[in-house]
Amino acid sequence: MLLSIQNLEVRYGSNKALSITAPIELEEGDRVGVIGANGAGKTTLVKSILGLVPYEGTIRTELLPEQMAVHMQFNEYTDNMCVKYVMEAILDTDISKNKKLQELIDFFEFGDCLRKKYSKLSGGQKQRFTIIMVMMQDAPLTFYDEVTSGLDFETRQKLVEKLVEWYRGRDAGFFMVSHYYEELDQLADKLLILDKGKVVAYGRRQELFQKYCGRAVIIMDNTPQNEALMKGAERMSSPKHLIAVSCGSEEKEREITRVLLLNDVNYKRSNNDIEMLYINAKEAEAGTRGAAAKNVGTRMAYKEKEAGE
Amino acid sequence: MKGRRKLFSRRMLLFEFRNVIGNPYVHIFGVGMPILMMVIITRAVLGEIAETEMLATVTTSVFLGIGAMIPMATIFMGYGIAHAQELEKGIPQRMELFGIGIKMSLCSRILSEVIFMVLAFCVYFAAGYALADVKSPAGWGLAIYVVCILTLSVILFCLAHAIASMLRKFSLVYCVTMLIYFGMMILGGMMGISFDNMPSAMQAAAKLLPVTYINRDFAAIWVGESYNFMPMVQSYLLLGAVAGILLFFTVKRDSRKLH
Repeated sequence: MLLSIQNLEVRYGSNKALSITAPIELEEGDRVGVIGANGAGKTTLVKSILGLVPYEGTIRTELLPEQMAVHMQFNEYTDNMCVKYVMEAILDTDISKNKKLQELIDFFEFGDCLRKKYSKLSGGQKQRFTIIMVMMQDAPLTFYDEVTSGLDFETRQKLVEKLVEWYRGRDAGFFMVSHYYEELDQLADKLLILDKGKVVAYGRRQELFQKYCGRAVIIMDNTPQNEALMKGAERMSSPKHLIAVSCGSEEKEREITRVLLLNDVNYKRSNNDIEMLYINAKEAEAGTRGAAAKNVGTRMAYKEKEAGE
Repeated sequence: MKGRRKLFSRRMLLFEFRNVIGNPYVHIFGVGMPILMMVIITRAVLGEIAETEMLATVTTSVFLGIGAMIPMATIFMGYGIAHAQELEKGIPQRMELFGIGIKMSLCSRILSEVIFMVLAFCVYFAAGYALADVKSPAGWGLAIYVVCILTLSVILFCLAHAIASMLRKFSLVYCVTMLIYFGMMILGGMMGISFDNMPSAMQAAAKLLPVTYINRDFAAIWVGESYNFMPMVQSYLLLGAVAGILLFFTVKRDSRKLH
């Protein structure tokens, strides 16, 4: 086990920013996506693991501090010299003599930026600068805290593509905080959902999806026509502009998609959509008796019925 | 994955040295200003003192006293302000997350500051001997001056680091270090009021500062005259103790607490 967290509590003054009771364990190579609204405690969790904020409780790890690489939300460096010298000092190497570093610089297309000062880099270049150094650490566990926040869509996508490509075939793990579900869709195999400083759910994406959303979901625009078509279907919680229905079985899924095809409705089918998972897990765990909770109950009953048959 | 880094490395030293020379403040106030002041003040006394020997002694005294401005400007003000700016941006924490801890940073930074200060002194001495009638030092006089300036530099570095770490905000650090800087210059007798002309309360405060002794008494030590070092040593010990305690407190408080 790489890292375990139990009974963790972090306070900022009288405000309890984070309270984790059930154990959270990270195995070697786990790629954990951390999601939650602003103020959910994501960055606080990362900071407490890194020992940057005082906390109560237990955080155990076999890793030394230098075996944990970190890309914080905001990374600043001195502006008194070009970033080449900053990079060489931090990594304690010469770029011209380090093949691995040269490859990384090429991989992230950063070569032309080396002579610039940090403040002269664009948002995407700044993120890539830190990522290169973080990856050079080759740590068994890396923390990424909102790496792509503040970047435009294209830069964000390019950066995530690079990360996906980099991690393909490697056994290094990470702990990635993000507000962008599509990023975690591509990168994370485990999810940690936080809400108001508490853990809503933690586990493998597939398992969590099954638990909170069922076998698959069909998502379409929220229009009066679609509303009428989906009357009687197992509705799930979804953003207001969408309708999401759960497909408890393959048969049910065929039935729904047949109706949608017949009526020429655009839809998306997913068995691992993180946004749906997040919304429905949050509702279910909050016990607000919302649609998700009802649907989970229905699905459980359905599954039990299936199992009984 | 690399192991734990050494406390000191050539690249870190180069990095910190570039950091020092990249701060325009140290060039203006640490190199330009002392030379300018030394030239103006030594020229000003030219017309007032007729005796050549006396003039050379006064010039040497002014020259050596103003020399103490160099560590005060480059290290105390320059480093204090630069470190506060870095703290505001979270740079030291970012470096620590890359495995470059406070001890490693401090070691390289203090050495870089000293190297820069030595270079600044070389320029200052070249200007001094070219533009003013400064007496040649006795071997011991020069050695003691070097030791005194270096010791003062290390103490001022610790003090600057502690003040910046405690206050953390650039504006506050700038204000506090500036006040202390001018306070030390006034009490040290570098701003026109000599120690003998100070009110007794000011004299009592001035006695606690090493710069007072450097400015007031070093002309004699410089040429190898006998001197009672005890009051000066005591002032060094006092300032060193204050700086050391503050530094220990801030480093301890800011250290990363890992499981």
